[in-house]
Amino acid sequence: MPVDTLDRSRVLSSHFGPLESLLAATGDANLHAWRRANLERFNALGLPTTKDEEFKYFVAPRLNEVKWQLAHGANVYRSHLPKGLISKLETTTLALVNGQIAPELDVLANLPKGVILCGLEEAITNHPELVNQYLGKSATLDGRLGSTNDERFTYLNSAYLADGLFLFVPKSVTLDIPVQLLSVIDAHQGPIAVYPRILIVAEENSEVQIVERHVGINGEYLNVPVTELFVGQGARVEYTRIQTETPEAIHIAGVYASQHGQSVLETHTASFGASASRLDLNIDVLGEYAETWMNGCYVARGEQLVDCHTRLDHRVPNCQSFEVYKGVIDDHGTGVFNGKIFVYEDAQKTDAKQTNQVILLSPTATINTKPQLEIFADDVKCTHGATVGKIRDDALFYMQSRGIPENEARDLLIYAFAAEVIEAIDTPGVTEALEEMLFEKLSK
Amino acid sequence: MLTIRNLEAGTADKPILKGVSLTVNKGEVHAIMGPNGSGKSTLASVLAGKPGYEVTGGTVEFEGKDLLDLDPEERAGEGVFLAFQYPVEIPGVSNTYFLRSAYNAIRKYRGESEMDALKFMSYIKSKTKFLELDNELLSRSVNEGFSGGEKKRNEIFQMAVLEPKLAILDETDSGLDIDALKLVSNGVNALRSPERAMLVITHYQRLLNYIVPDFVHVLVDGRIVKSGGKELALELEEKGYGWIEEQAKAGV
Ligand SMILES: Nc1ncnc2c1ncn2[C@@H]1O[C@H](COP(=O)(O)OP(=O)(O)OP(=O)(O)O)[C@@H](O)[C@H]1O
Ligand SMILES: [Mg+2]
Repeated sequence: MPVDTLDRSRVLSSHFGPLESLLAATGDANLHAWRRANLERFNALGLPTTKDEEFKYFVAPRLNEVKWQLAHGANVYRSHLPKGLISKLETTTLALVNGQIAPELDVLANLPKGVILCGLEEAITNHPELVNQYLGKSATLDGRLGSTNDERFTYLNSAYLADGLFLFVPKSVTLDIPVQLLSVIDAHQGPIAVYPRILIVAEENSEVQIVERHVGINGEYLNVPVTELFVGQGARVEYTRIQTETPEAIHIAGVYASQHGQSVLETHTASFGASASRLDLNIDVLGEYAETWMNGCYVARGEQLVDCHTRLDHRVPNCQSFEVYKGVIDDHGTGVFNGKIFVYEDAQKTDAKQTNQVILLSPTATINTKPQLEIFADDVKCTHGATVGKIRDDALFYMQSRGIPENEARDLLIYAFAAEVIEAIDTPGVTEALEEMLFEKLSK
Repeated sequence: MLTIRNLEAGTADKPILKGVSLTVNKGEVHAIMGPNGSGKSTLASVLAGKPGYEVTGGTVEFEGKDLLDLDPEERAGEGVFLAFQYPVEIPGVSNTYFLRSAYNAIRKYRGESEMDALKFMSYIKSKTKFLELDNELLSRSVNEGFSGGEKKRNEIFQMAVLEPKLAILDETDSGLDIDALKLVSNGVNALRSPERAMLVITHYQRLLNYIVPDFVHVLVDGRIVKSGGKELALELEEKGYGWIEEQAKAGV
């Protein structure tokens, strides 16, 4: 590795020393040893370059150029937040600002008995066994198939593990109101690095709808969030993740779900913001007769880069998965889609479908798309398809001929393209909110 | 209302309309007939502003305005409506949403206030009944998976909702069964008024039994070679186009 790259990586590692005593104060010695181990693993790799297979298309020069500072608190009030979801959804909201809990943004409804919704630090203190049982357990690909697994940013997040958000839904409990997990970043005082951690546990036969939002308010920053999601036997979880970082931000995220037998997990990810964003969505299917949905919508305009990696491990027989990712790339934007599906030797009768569809709105827009199915079982149904298209001229003219102005017609056609993904969301109010965000994004 | 003078148009490498002149007054229904490939749809497309055609000569005036100078959506705003020979499918956009966007865009163009969703629903209900259009088609994506006949009925339904001043119907009768043909014709006739005009492109005299034209024109190879009253359509039905083409060639 070139020396300067190592040096740059040290910018991010260098915060650990001054912060260490503070970090160590949260949790026991084991947890802290785990932090240190993660730091070492990150240090061994440093920041990625485009020579690293998993970051081949992740071109984000600012990641190396900026001298990121340690995150500090900021005062963010509800009036600072962009309109949309918050007012529309009658959710229960738990919030972070710059990685720290932000009670002023919380909206806490009465939750059924046994449900825990609190800051991660608080959970580590008050529910140590529970946290211990789940933290760090989903967020690892150690020992998994694949020769290019690259989790360096997850290591980095784990090294700095302190506060975050924790949601626990006990066995057989149904949450009627969706829960919003909100991470807000305000970097008006200079470029900061933030490592939010979210831990969600839905025990067996529980039901919950979760909306995780990453909202940028000001400035340039590096956001490296990690979410772990445990879906117990027979549980039903709808997880929607909406990323609207500032146009200057870099967002590098890992979402890891472990899914047990007969459970249904629907994930919806929307990536709209940041100058460069990366999302690795990893779903590990551990029990039979589980059903997994992976819907994604990503938009890149201007000079934006949106990089979506998904990974699905079908380890056991008789599971179904449906994946649809839709990308809209305009101007000089770049989209990346890499969809891995591993079907293990034992996973007979797996039924997996993957689709990635992209529309390019300008001749200078780029898409790199790579389906990657690795199948080791013989009695399976696996399909994948990728299409790249543009706005259909005939449809555009048809709409114009009915009086709809060209811009509006174009937006409507783009929305129609994304609708399959956006309209699949059952959590009340989210489809409408995303629709609004998409139109706003397109009109800029 | 509409004055076409010596209109010449075509694609980049092929002239299609070679000097079409036609005047349509308020309240009139003009039928345009002619062999396949003679330029009927091209004429309709050029009037509606479809990209891909170049106008190389002539003028088109609509209600005192230079129609060719307007964008397609402005033409719609001015009151021009084209019922497509091949209606376009738009997956993901519901018929109702599409129509309301169109309806309100036109109102906006005219400086009128938009109609809210609820009012609009009851407004269009009255129109669906008339055309016996299945309500289920309204919530479906525009034309997606519609049968040929359903698509054509949907065009007329849109026309009924948008209430244009000039309706151009391009082979709206093709693909319709006899009952649907009556329904569609009734829909069209209901819109006939002293304030509106229609340009009906068809191959079949049958349609003109229902929508009785004031004038019939025959377009051959990009030119109107014969015009007459409704009896011309009957004559064409009987004799075909051969004799007219002969006459045209002979310069009669
Ligand atoms: N966009 C286009 N590109 C190339 N050729 C075209 C285009 N539009 C029309 N043409 C050609 O121009 C000629 C006239 O076509 P047009 O569709 O206007 O005929 P029409 O009279 O409507 O025929 P039909 O009765 O079969 O519908 C045809 O030869 C057609 O192939
Ligand atoms: Mg035609």
